[in-house]
Parts: sequence; structure tokens; C-alpha cells
Amino acid sequence: MRFWRVIEPHLGFLLQGFALTIAACLLAIVGAVLLGAVTASMRSSGNTWVRGAANAYGDVFRNVPFLVQLFFFFYGLPELGIYIGAFETGVIAMSIAGGAFVSDVILSGIMTVDTGVIDAAKVSGLSRFKIFTRIVLPIALRVSVRPMGSVLINLVLTSSILSTITVNELTGTAKIVAATTFKPFEVYAVLLVLYASLTTLLSFVISATHHRLNRFMTGG
Amino acid sequence: MRYADFTPYDIILLLQGLGVTLALFVGTTLIGLALGLALAVVHHYRIPGCRPVIVLVTEALKNSPVLVQLFLVFFGIPAFLHIRMTPVEAATLTISLNTAAFAFVVFRSGIESIDRDQIEAAQVFGLNRSQILRFVIAPQAAAFSVGPLIGILVNQLQVTSLISVIGVFDLTKIGNILNLRTLQPFIVWAVIGLIYYLAAKTLAHVGGCLEAALRKSVKWGGI
Repeated sequence: MRFWRVIEPHLGFLLQGFALTIAACLLAIVGAVLLGAVTASMRSSGNTWVRGAANAYGDVFRNVPFLVQLFFFFYGLPELGIYIGAFETGVIAMSIAGGAFVSDVILSGIMTVDTGVIDAAKVSGLSRFKIFTRIVLPIALRVSVRPMGSVLINLVLTSSILSTITVNELTGTAKIVAATTFKPFEVYAVLLVLYASLTTLLSFVISATHHRLNRFMTGG
Repeated sequence: MRYADFTPYDIILLLQGLGVTLALFVGTTLIGLALGLALAVVHHYRIPGCRPVIVLVTEALKNSPVLVQLFLVFFGIPAFLHIRMTPVEAATLTISLNTAAFAFVVFRSGIESIDRDQIEAAQVFGLNRSQILRFVIAPQAAAFSVGPLIGILVNQLQVTSLISVIGVFDLTKIGNILNLRTLQPFIVWAVIGLIYYLAAKTLAHVGGCLEAALRKSVKWGGI
């Protein structure tokens, strides 16, 4: 096992990087969901300006490469006098980019909610805020599990780009290991398989969650 | 101390970068689509032993970061096989394969979207395999596939920005150079972002027109 011989001495170091990848992804998905939920509710608002601003945000951050966005924040924020670490910058950039995709997911979830349900809630005398948080969002989130999962998987893949701004997450540590061992093929091949297994595993988990959350929805 | 301000020559630099990005994008798109189509056809005809290999490789390509793939091809393969590889070659190879993996899935579902009845009917009429592929499967699969493909291509255009990391002088690399020279990250990256944005929007628009035309021809073509 030549691959294992190359990787084995550096396993602890790679695991540190892996932990950082997981941390970045978890923080970013939380940020992205919060931002996406706000954006989605703005996009379903009646006010033209609010809707326009939210649409523009989604449009811009989906059509500009993540690397360019990342450099914009990484080099730009210090210019504004905001000095935060590369990891924090990366998480913020991932949250903002992810939020644009999540808002799409949530918005299409909101669209699937039957207007009859909302009318019924109105008649029952619920406030608009309560209708949105207690009725529309839970239904919308339930159908959004699968698309939201693919956003999460995309975030995991995107997190490798953080290595370009000196964050030593999984890809960053692998770069260092490849440089010290002079065995780039073995290191990157293992890395590729590792990422692929991680995202495949994630997609299984997402499928299972989807089935569990929608277990009452069949046959309706 | 400021290093240097923007010069008119920077516009030429930007255009050069855009040229490299677009050339690489077009090249890898053509190779990728052709390869993806070939894989889908091979998959469709159930050539023994090919199916699991194709599915495994495309899934691995789709489910791993492009940056890691680039590193594997650019640093790994030359060290492993003792060959030389330029950044452009590595970038072309990687992005082409990546596009092929995504295109394969679209083409496959495009082919699978066609009713078996239609193929059986064509067989009854005495069409041979290649005729069925050309006259029955291809036009419908194309109309089905073009929408998702455009989404993939818009995405792949953005993915090409990663090749700057292995040293290809594309638009993002030019942005890096200008950023380091002028120390004006807001202006530089906003301009680079705007160029990518416009390119993506143009691509999506052209693709939308193409899709409308194809759908129309499929709908009314037989009448």
C-alpha cells in the first residue's frame, strides 16, 4: 500500500485540516441558511425595492466565481479597516455565496406552499409573522431538504478553495504534505477519494433525512 | 507608499486574461461535451464492463473539488509518470474531464427520457441502431438536455477561474497581478467580477435563445 505509506506519518496533520474543513462548512451552512432565509423572505415581499435588492444579491453572487468573491473579501476587508483572520474571511465569503443559493431553495419551497393553507391560517386569526414562521417556513423547509443538501455538498467542495487564502483546511494541509513528501500523486489521489467519499456519504444522509421528514407526505 | 496607478495598458491586460479564460472555456466545453456524449452513448448500449467504470469515474469527478483535481493532474501526474505538463495542458485536461462528467449525467437522462416504445416502434419500422440514435434519440435528447447543459456551462465558466491557482494567466490571474501592483482590491476585484458576471449572463442569454429554438423545432418539426 504505497498510498498508505505516504499518508500515514502525516495523518494527524491531515485530520487537523479535516476538522477545519468541517468547522468552516458547518459555520458557513448556518450563515448561508440565515442569510438565505432573510433573502428569500425579501424576495417574496411585495415591496419592489426590497425584492429588487434581494434578487440582485442572488444574481451577482451566483454569477461571479467564488475565487473572485473570496479575493474581494480577503484583500478588500483590510482596506476597510476590518482585520479578521483568513478562516473568518473564508467562512463569511462561503456564507454569502451559499446564501444566494439557499435563498433560491427556500423561495421555491415557499412557492410550493398551498395558498389555501395560508388563507386558512388567516381566517384562524394568526398574525402575518406567525403565519410565516409557523406555517410557511416549516412546510417550505421540509420540501427543501434535498436541494439544501446539494448546496451543503457544494459548500464542502467549495471549502477547498479556502486553501488559496492561506487557510490550512484539508486541501491546504494536503498541499503541505505533498510538498514535504514529494509524492503529490499519492497525496492528491487520496484527497480526491476522501472528498468524494465525504460528499457521497453526505448525500446518503440527506436522502435519509428527506425520506424521514416527508414520511407523512406520501399518498396525499 | 503607492506602487503604481492603473494605466491604459491594464485594459489590454484584462482583455488578454479574458481571451485566455474564454478560449479555455470554449475548448474544454467542446471536448467535454463530445466526451460526455460519447460516454452517454457507450452507457446506453450497455457495452460489458463499461457502465460501472463510467459511473464511478464521473461520480468521483462530480463529487470532488475541482481544485484537488487540478492539483492531482498538474502536480501529481507529472511526478507519477515522469512527464512534463504545462499549466494550460493540465487545466484543459482537468476542466474537460470535469465538464464531461456533468454533461454525461445530463445526456444520460436525456436519452433515458425517451420512451422505450418509440425505440421499439422505430425497430419495427426497420431502422437500424445508428438510424434510431440519429433520428429518434438524438433530436429529443438534445431538446431535453440543452437547458440543464446551459446551467452546467455557466457554472463551468466560473470554475475556470480556479486554473489561475496552477499558474494559467486567465482573468483571475490578471486580477491577482493588478491587485498586487495597484493595491486597490475593491476596484480590481469588482471589475474582474463584473467581467465574469457579464460573460455568464451573455452565455445564459445565448443558451436561452438556443433552447427556445430547439424546443420549437422539436415541437413542430414533424408536422
